[in-house]
Amino acid sequence: MINRKQELPLKDDSSSLFLQVMITIAVFLFAVTLAGVLSINSMLLNWNQSILGSLTVQIMPVNSIDKDKAREETLEHQNKAVRFLESRPEIEKAVPLKDEQLEKLIRPWLGDGTNIGDLPVPRLIDVKVKKGENINFAELAEKLANASPQASLDNHKLWLNKLIRFADGLKMLAMSILLLVVTIASGAIFYSTQTSLGLHKYIIEILHMMGAKDTYVAQQYAKRTAYLGLTSGAAGLALAVPAIFAISRLAEQIEGGIISEATLSWGSWVLILSLPLFSSLIATVTAYYTVKRTLEKMM
Amino acid sequence: MHKKHLIKEKKYFIKYYICYKLKVLNRKGVFILLNKDSSIPAIIEMQNVGIRYGQGPEILSDIKLSLKKGSFHFLTGKSGAGKTSLLSMMYLAQKPSRGIVNVFGKNVNFTNRDSLSLLRRKIGVVFQDFRLLDHLSAFDNVALPLRVCGMDEREVRKRVKELLQWVELDRHMLDTPATLSGGEKQRIAIARAVINRPELLLADEPTGNVDNDIAPKLMKLFVELNKLGTTVVIATHSEKLINDFNYPRLHLQNRGLRIFYPNDVSGLGGNI
Ligand SMILES: Nc1ncnc2c1ncn2[C@@H]1O[C@H](COP(=O)(O)OP(=O)(O)OP(=O)(O)O)[C@@H](O)[C@H]1O
Ligand SMILES: [Mg+2]
Repeated sequence: MINRKQELPLKDDSSSLFLQVMITIAVFLFAVTLAGVLSINSMLLNWNQSILGSLTVQIMPVNSIDKDKAREETLEHQNKAVRFLESRPEIEKAVPLKDEQLEKLIRPWLGDGTNIGDLPVPRLIDVKVKKGENINFAELAEKLANASPQASLDNHKLWLNKLIRFADGLKMLAMSILLLVVTIASGAIFYSTQTSLGLHKYIIEILHMMGAKDTYVAQQYAKRTAYLGLTSGAAGLALAVPAIFAISRLAEQIEGGIISEATLSWGSWVLILSLPLFSSLIATVTAYYTVKRTLEKMM
Repeated sequence: MHKKHLIKEKKYFIKYYICYKLKVLNRKGVFILLNKDSSIPAIIEMQNVGIRYGQGPEILSDIKLSLKKGSFHFLTGKSGAGKTSLLSMMYLAQKPSRGIVNVFGKNVNFTNRDSLSLLRRKIGVVFQDFRLLDHLSAFDNVALPLRVCGMDEREVRKRVKELLQWVELDRHMLDTPATLSGGEKQRIAIARAVINRPELLLADEPTGNVDNDIAPKLMKLFVELNKLGTTVVIATHSEKLINDFNYPRLHLQNRGLRIFYPNDVSGLGGNI
């Protein structure tokens, strides 16, 4: 049977390979950057929630030559603080960190095998605020000090604020990279489509003489670029996914729980995995309108 | 006596009224051209048309022309006289440098691109240099005009096969133009021009490369199409062709156009 051949041999265009490489790189960059933006976002969300929803109370260790006594007194202060906190209506729960947890926290600085009992380390109480409660930080801090003089309140706000501003800046930067990648990619599609139109001027003129409208030509270009956008987009994504995993593995190895909160949600993954569809859509629309606009200048 | 005169007046009035209704007279009672052609619309009209390339001199000047629907004309003139240029305005590849060109009653200067495309679908063109698409088979080349207007693929196959058989090229259906002879290419070009049963057929030297025995067959195709209502213009150098058929001829000379009717060769002076 006779197979219908495309009138415009766009497959053999020299610009075809260029476009494939271009779109692959663009989608790769886009996916990795987008993953960055999304995880910064989830990190910011987590941080904001932790500012709103949690406090840390620090119990300064009592100084004494008798280590056991000092420890006991410190724990006594801790219990007082816990009781006070639990009596407050806006607080959901107050959980003192256990020795192992404290050890884990200081291990990066003091190494393995430290015995928490031997050291004058502050004890920490992890406090969860009830959802939707607006606490008066200053008042709570004062009353806490009254209940237990060794206790002080920290709402993470100060140092987190700096981090949040830094993360916000990073996010803006990443967003402008996203915009730039899209601009450059569609610019490349625009120019290579124009070049291709010039290359196939002879064929296009004949198609016009046979009564083809501009849309007929534009559709052939749109089909071709849709295919290129999809396949090259998939290739770019295939390169990006391992890269994203590698980066997040590196981030997980940073202790302290700041960056490990930067996990990608299912929704984020769906967005990232659908990038080839978007690249195909953008490529198609760009090519279509480039053809329409360029042909309008021919007779 | 007086009464008889009145009756005569009345009869005259009725006659006048009928003529007015039939649009033979205009409102003021002046006779509109009563020539028998006036009811037939012109497919192509040109007035004061001039054409030039870039800043060069005018190739054609002050062309005045009206081709009636269903007419058949030869177009002659020395090489370089501007036959192809004149045809290219008719098939809407070129706008006139000056003057008015109406194709199917539409002024080409005020017609948008999509409407021009629709007009082109009613025009079949055999280009002097064929303009076949080299990467497509003979079949796909002939199918082109049908496909660009979105015809159903089954219908396309049926029609194209039929026509290729008729021009004796069904053996070469899947060959690309590069592997075909000049005459075979020409027949493909002709098949492509007529596949859509055009209302206007413009052929630039359509029988230049074909054998003496296939040329009459192709001419017969044009004549048959003309009988079915297609308006035909054929540019040719072939004196034999012109003499074999009694059709009027548009002759280009000294940048102008003159029309000669059969058996009237005065002034041609062998300048074909
Ligand atoms: N695209 C063009 N650019 C510049 N000049 C052109 C162009 N096409 C045609 N001409 C000039 O216009 C003149 C008429 O050319 P045209 O092709 O119309 O002649 P023709 O009658 O068809 O000749 P032939 O019988 O050899 O086909 C020629 O002098 C040619 O040089
Ligand atoms: Mg010519």
